[in-house]
Amino acid sequence: MHRTIARIRSVIPALVATALIVASPASAEAQGNAPWDRVDPAQELLDGATPRAESIQIDLPSVTQDGSSVPLSIEVDHPMRSDDYIEALYVFATRNPSPEVVEYHFTPLAGKARISTRVRLNESQTVFALARTSRGAWLAGTREIRVTVSGCIAQGNAEKGPDFMQTRVRAASRARPGEPLDVRTLINHPMETGLREDSNGNAIPERIVHSFRAEINGETVLTARFHRAVSANPYLLFYIAPGQSGPLHLTWEEDTGETATATAEIPAA
Amino acid sequence: MTRMPMNRRQALKRMGTVGAGSLLAGAGVPLFAGSRTDRVVVVGGGFGGATAAKYLKRLAPGLNVTLVEPAKRYYTCPFTNLYLGGMREFESLGHDYRELSDRYDVRVLHAFAQDVDVEGRRLQLENGSTLRWDRLILSPGIDFRWGDLEGYDKRAPEQAPHAWKAGPQTKLLRKQLVAMEDGGTFILVAPDNPFRCPPGPYERVSMIANYFKKNKPRSKILLLDAKDTFSKQGLFEEGWRTHYGDMIEWVGRSADGRVVRVDPELLEVETEFGTVHKASVLNVVPPQKAGAIAHRAGVADDSGWVPIDPHTFRARRAEGVYVLGDATQAAPMPKSGFVANTQAKVAARAVIADLAGEPAPEPSWANTCYSVIAPEWGITVANVYEVHEGTLREVPGSGGVSPLDADAAFRSREAAYAEAWYAAITQDIWGTRPA
Repeated sequence: MHRTIARIRSVIPALVATALIVASPASAEAQGNAPWDRVDPAQELLDGATPRAESIQIDLPSVTQDGSSVPLSIEVDHPMRSDDYIEALYVFATRNPSPEVVEYHFTPLAGKARISTRVRLNESQTVFALARTSRGAWLAGTREIRVTVSGCIAQGNAEKGPDFMQTRVRAASRARPGEPLDVRTLINHPMETGLREDSNGNAIPERIVHSFRAEINGETVLTARFHRAVSANPYLLFYIAPGQSGPLHLTWEEDTGETATATAEIPAA
Repeated sequence: MTRMPMNRRQALKRMGTVGAGSLLAGAGVPLFAGSRTDRVVVVGGGFGGATAAKYLKRLAPGLNVTLVEPAKRYYTCPFTNLYLGGMREFESLGHDYRELSDRYDVRVLHAFAQDVDVEGRRLQLENGSTLRWDRLILSPGIDFRWGDLEGYDKRAPEQAPHAWKAGPQTKLLRKQLVAMEDGGTFILVAPDNPFRCPPGPYERVSMIANYFKKNKPRSKILLLDAKDTFSKQGLFEEGWRTHYGDMIEWVGRSADGRVVRVDPELLEVETEFGTVHKASVLNVVPPQKAGAIAHRAGVADDSGWVPIDPHTFRARRAEGVYVLGDATQAAPMPKSGFVANTQAKVAARAVIADLAGEPAPEPSWANTCYSVIAPEWGITVANVYEVHEGTLREVPGSGGVSPLDADAAFRSREAAYAEAWYAAITQDIWGTRPA
């Protein structure tokens, strides 16, 4: 449980140095004005398409003193009908060591394209999200955040503890009629970034929970791909469309192939 | 952590620039500032506001300075935990405004500031009167976000005190602890960042453990936290093990420590993933925002806190209005009394320069947060702050926390420094002489 500021701080210059190499603003500015124009993996996804900067609401604090666990909520204001829904949502942090943060793949069973999670943000930067509709249109949203380092607010590095891969889930006990039902999930996992050193100065290898799946009655509600910018002990709040009931099965998988599961009973309306 | 001793001299040198030494030199203070009767109104007589009023008059005796503060006697939040732990009398935390009015000629109005007309440069008081100002300084502290935590409404503190503003709430919590049977469970609910006094919840459970150890040794303490890490965590956990064994259990967010519902009648709390805990004494530190007058003045933003120009602590959203202390968005500075005190000194100089039509002097701020874990066992975090590329930051290498594994003599000295700090800062602000 010892988390000393000295050790945590020693990692930060290394993270910053990496970030400068990956996303040098000077070379990127020339290519385009939107943040997705400057991030290669976003360009690959868009494949020449220009997203409409609308309909995505990103909630982040404007300033945080703990970049290791920043609350992030994203909502895409779009229908979730079988013929027109948000099928994917990608989150990027422009000045993290690697820009990919997390991606979600929804089905209409999710009821709404809204999530809450916690992410790692290395420094002050632009966070943006791209959403693809089932009809192939792209939407985008951006948000600025200032990240400060404070000696008064300890930054967290979770260790692999006795609760490793322990899962938690809680579905709302009742939903308002016609409204999607919220489900909160958490898995205990340090989400090692591969950028940290142990006390002897040796690099700790990357080891993360990389995927998550939620199914109800054998049908997929949501899948997610976590990158190393998802905070330790990945937390995810998502929704289930009204009219669904029965056991909700959740599965997480980490880099070793080890999986963990949890089940929640979704009540009939 | 090892760099703290090396840099302490440098840190102290920088701290000197906000201390009294530089006042004698008068560096950066315009010679004739305040010789006209410019009116500065200060709202709030705590660590920020009372310091601002005093230092305005010290720097520019000709200024017309009015301090608006409802209380005739002000009780500090710092050291209330020592009162809860049985280490201090409540009255030792009280300070009055006689030095400000009698020695520094500050007009002290015991009234409640209700509204601000920024355009018309007027402050409305609850008693119906209006004050005109040329510059306004708001130091209103915090208000609670009633309704953010289900079940914890305005009446809930009567059963489950917050005790996060010093006064009757502090005494109520102490009374409940004294009335509690041996073998009971004290639960403290701690909020997510940002909030007033980052080490406060952890010092509080330490001090309550001190009281339990001596008086109710079979009792337990459960700290349910909305965060996965906290200020000076390693030092607190070391101190808890050393002095209190396993009496204190801390449950972080990822271990289902985040409380989402409070039942103040039953003294029960429910966590995010559905665990219900029952307390004998329940202390809820609720989510917070800037004090009400900051919202009335329109200087707070969506975060609930006040964005400021880092050089001067002038509110970004209003002309002529400065904001200090816990109400501000001044990260990485913590919401502490010490920081409010140095912010006030910076703002006092900036206001005087502003009235004289001159640029504000180069600012510097300092903070030390002492926490007392047990009698003769203190720990600290200290930093110096500066403006760098337009934003506030910690001066690299300027501070740090107490070392882990230090011996008892080291901890004992830090506990003595904590007492000395309290005596010094309350004398600086309110002129209180130690009894």
